[in-house]
Amino acid sequence: MNYGSEEKLASTFAEELRQRMLGETITLCYQCGTCASSCPVAKITPSFNPREVIKLLLLGEKDEVISGEAIWLCCSCYNCDERCPQKVAIPLAMFALRNIAFKEGYIPDIYSEFASAIYDNGRIVTISKFVEKKRPTLGLPPLQPTGVDAIRKILSATEFDKLQLKKEETS
Amino acid sequence: MGEVKVGVFLADCGNQLPEILDFKALNDFTKKVSDVVLVDRSNEFWRGEGLQTIMTAVRDGTINRVVVAESLPKLSEVNIVQAVEEAGLNPYLVEVIDLKDHCAWPHRETPKEATEKAKAMLLGAIERAKLLDPIEKLEFPVLKSALVIGGGIAGMQAAVDLADLGFEVHLVEKEPFLGGLAARASRFFPTDDCATCIQSPASDVKTITHTSRKCVYRSGFSEIPNLSILANSKIVSLEGVPGNYKVTIEKKPRYVDEQKCVACDLCTTVCPIEVPDEYNAKLNSRKAIYMNVPNLHPPVYVIDESVCKFHDCAKCVEVCPTNAIDLDQKSERITLNVGSIIVATGFQEFDSSIIKEYHYDDYPDVITNLELARMIDGFGPTDGMIIRPSTRKPAKKIVFIQCVGSRDRRYNPYCSSICCMISLKHATLIKSAYPDTDITICYIDIRTTGREHEDYYEKAREMGIKFVKGRPTEISRDSETGRLIVDVEDALLRRFLELDADLVVLAPAMVPSEGTKELAQIVRSLSRFEAFLDEDGFLKEYNAKLRPTETKLRGIYICGGATFPKDAPTTSLHAHSAALKAAKFMTTGKIVKDQRTAVVNEEYCGDCVFCPVTCPYGAISLVPTTEEHFVAQVSDLMCEGCGICVGTCPLNAIELRHSRPTQMLAQMKALTSVNGTSKPLVLAICCSECGGTVVDSSGMAMMRYPANVRIMKVPCTGILQVHQFLEAFEVGAQGVMVVGCKSDGCHYEVGSQKAEKKVELARTLLKEYGIAPERLEMLNMVFIEGNKFAEAAQTMTERLEKLGPLQLTEVS
Repeated sequence: MNYGSEEKLASTFAEELRQRMLGETITLCYQCGTCASSCPVAKITPSFNPREVIKLLLLGEKDEVISGEAIWLCCSCYNCDERCPQKVAIPLAMFALRNIAFKEGYIPDIYSEFASAIYDNGRIVTISKFVEKKRPTLGLPPLQPTGVDAIRKILSATEFDKLQLKKEETS
Repeated sequence: MGEVKVGVFLADCGNQLPEILDFKALNDFTKKVSDVVLVDRSNEFWRGEGLQTIMTAVRDGTINRVVVAESLPKLSEVNIVQAVEEAGLNPYLVEVIDLKDHCAWPHRETPKEATEKAKAMLLGAIERAKLLDPIEKLEFPVLKSALVIGGGIAGMQAAVDLADLGFEVHLVEKEPFLGGLAARASRFFPTDDCATCIQSPASDVKTITHTSRKCVYRSGFSEIPNLSILANSKIVSLEGVPGNYKVTIEKKPRYVDEQKCVACDLCTTVCPIEVPDEYNAKLNSRKAIYMNVPNLHPPVYVIDESVCKFHDCAKCVEVCPTNAIDLDQKSERITLNVGSIIVATGFQEFDSSIIKEYHYDDYPDVITNLELARMIDGFGPTDGMIIRPSTRKPAKKIVFIQCVGSRDRRYNPYCSSICCMISLKHATLIKSAYPDTDITICYIDIRTTGREHEDYYEKAREMGIKFVKGRPTEISRDSETGRLIVDVEDALLRRFLELDADLVVLAPAMVPSEGTKELAQIVRSLSRFEAFLDEDGFLKEYNAKLRPTETKLRGIYICGGATFPKDAPTTSLHAHSAALKAAKFMTTGKIVKDQRTAVVNEEYCGDCVFCPVTCPYGAISLVPTTEEHFVAQVSDLMCEGCGICVGTCPLNAIELRHSRPTQMLAQMKALTSVNGTSKPLVLAICCSECGGTVVDSSGMAMMRYPANVRIMKVPCTGILQVHQFLEAFEVGAQGVMVVGCKSDGCHYEVGSQKAEKKVELARTLLKEYGIAPERLEMLNMVFIEGNKFAEAAQTMTERLEKLGPLQLTEVS
């Protein structure tokens, strides 16, 4: 097999990523594995290995990366960022990749559920009757309504709503 | 100088050129130019009969300016200039142009236009020749003595070479013993022999048998004629000029007389003070009076003044059988005058404690390769045993970690190049001596690039040494057992390992030594060079390809690990190279240099600091004229004649003797005075280095570009001033191309960068004046890009045709 496809040359994607990463570049990576051995997630699941994600990107396998679940598993502990000898900003790359994946419609269900909740209620967690009843007993004031309209305006300015809608239609 | 009489010599290159150029027309044209008294034509003028013709005309006084159109400009120029000098005329009154490569070949399809361009070129050369001044030759004395700084493998070898060649050599070492880092390495790759061997001096009659090497202690090193060794000494200051540097050295007290000590060891036996031995990684202790290991040089004890109780104890004085110990010795200052200096101050290990996750400072069983080397050394603190420092029991499980602080953009981005081999050497030596040792090497990439180096890697695998591709994230310690755990991903198997170890050996980056840093500061104070160090702190050579051991300062040479981490074979080569360069510099006892240098018009020069700051050679200094005023002064010895100062001076107070603004203007006018084509005239101002050769090469390779493009050479594009671009348009050029070296490849360091900035400024001005800025462009090219020059010339011509004629009158 060949890596990547011609129109998605590795260097082209690395450049796209560099722009999203405020000039930081992944091409510095020489696959030493310091990130992987520093990563608490990689040690408990074979689904995520930061070194492999970067390697795939360097080979131009953009689609494989953004459609997969790996990029969503990074827990942003910054251990790798701290220890990478080539100063590759790996957590920043993960954020950038999630943004790209989201734009292209690859959104894990859990994230789109959160997104819907925010869009509908202005909150990630839906407030149940139980919670509303429980609050006064703990001496907490009742919850105020959220500014859903304002939040929707923001989401629409960033075109988040369109992406979210697209996701809902497809699923 | 009296009346100017120009002789013009037209070479037709074995009748090749007349097929394109009309030589009769050139002859007639040239004859009519004022002050031309002789026009001659021949197959060639740079040798044989042609050259004789020139010499005769010079000798009999017919001519006193020589213009030659030849086809091999550089080669022919050398010959012609020499011949003219022999015939009794100042050799700088000669102007050689290239009618073949700059005219006939590139314009062979438009012979008429080519002939008109040839006229312009000849006129340009004649007008310039008329304004040339005689230039004198200068001589500067060079002392035949050298200072070698650093007594490691590089310094010792360079010192022996120079001493053998008959120069007076002073070898200075800041430690009490020679040998440097190399002596502590125990064994060298690829020979696996001891580190204390160095080349035997040729002057030692006993070693005249040409054996491959000798231990330093039996090499007769101290007895080499002309070589004086100053151990325990350091450089305090450096002054002077190439060929005569004045060095001040501080010789610290040894408290033991080198002439009396017989190295009997009685003193160390009675000395009551014991301290950890730094030389041996603090794995053992030594006395206050000591010698690191028995085979060092000089074989004389030294007292550690930071711990000795001196007269409160003085037991060593009592016991010394030769009265060699002098507790009242004082440090002394020694001043030397030397012709050249070789800096061989070496490298050292990076401080691994900076990488906190490896706990080099906290865990005694985490050591470095140099410390391991001391264990391997039979003279070392463990008698050759590999131990866990925490328990002093044998280490049975060893993990090596490569690239500690090297290839690491947080500390040192470069590959230290020797650490893979050092670890492989150590691993195989240990495995040979103690086959039951379990050894793992964690690496990013294994680099074994020298001869026989790959054999070590192969042997290591054969011996069962394990390799893990992965850089460990951290080392931790089991609090109960005290054993170390190395946390690493085997990237090839995608497997997370926790390697158990009783000894972890770090392979740290090799960084410039403290001595190298200090020396760099001292040399910088002498030369004002910003660029004496590279960005990693190593000493920087003048040119990596061709001058690897020279610096920009004549007479100062660098070698060994001070320039970059090196193994022993490369260090030897480097040292011999530096010694040869120093010998070459000193051998005639003088520097012969002509006065093609900058000269200051003191009347205009006034109190600014532009030229001394800009000069890439530190050739310009400011000297006071009155109490308040300064004037620039150029050192003819240091000046390389590039003219970057000229381009920088805001007052036109400095010019080059061989490229004055008046000469340039006259040539510019002449080159644009004849067009002969329907196309707009373009003036290509090229430097004499890459920028000029790229024009030559496009002609040599017979690439085509239109004849409206006229070539003018200057020493460096850095000489050009903004107003000169405007002058070019004023005298008739419709477009100007400035052709210089690559921005980072200027032969005079910064000239082409300066030119780029000035072109940018001039373009802004042109815009202000309503002139299209595209009429002026800067090209940065190298010799092999002749095709690019031809393309650029064509593109410029087309661009100007589109823009239409330049109407300067409309501007005002």
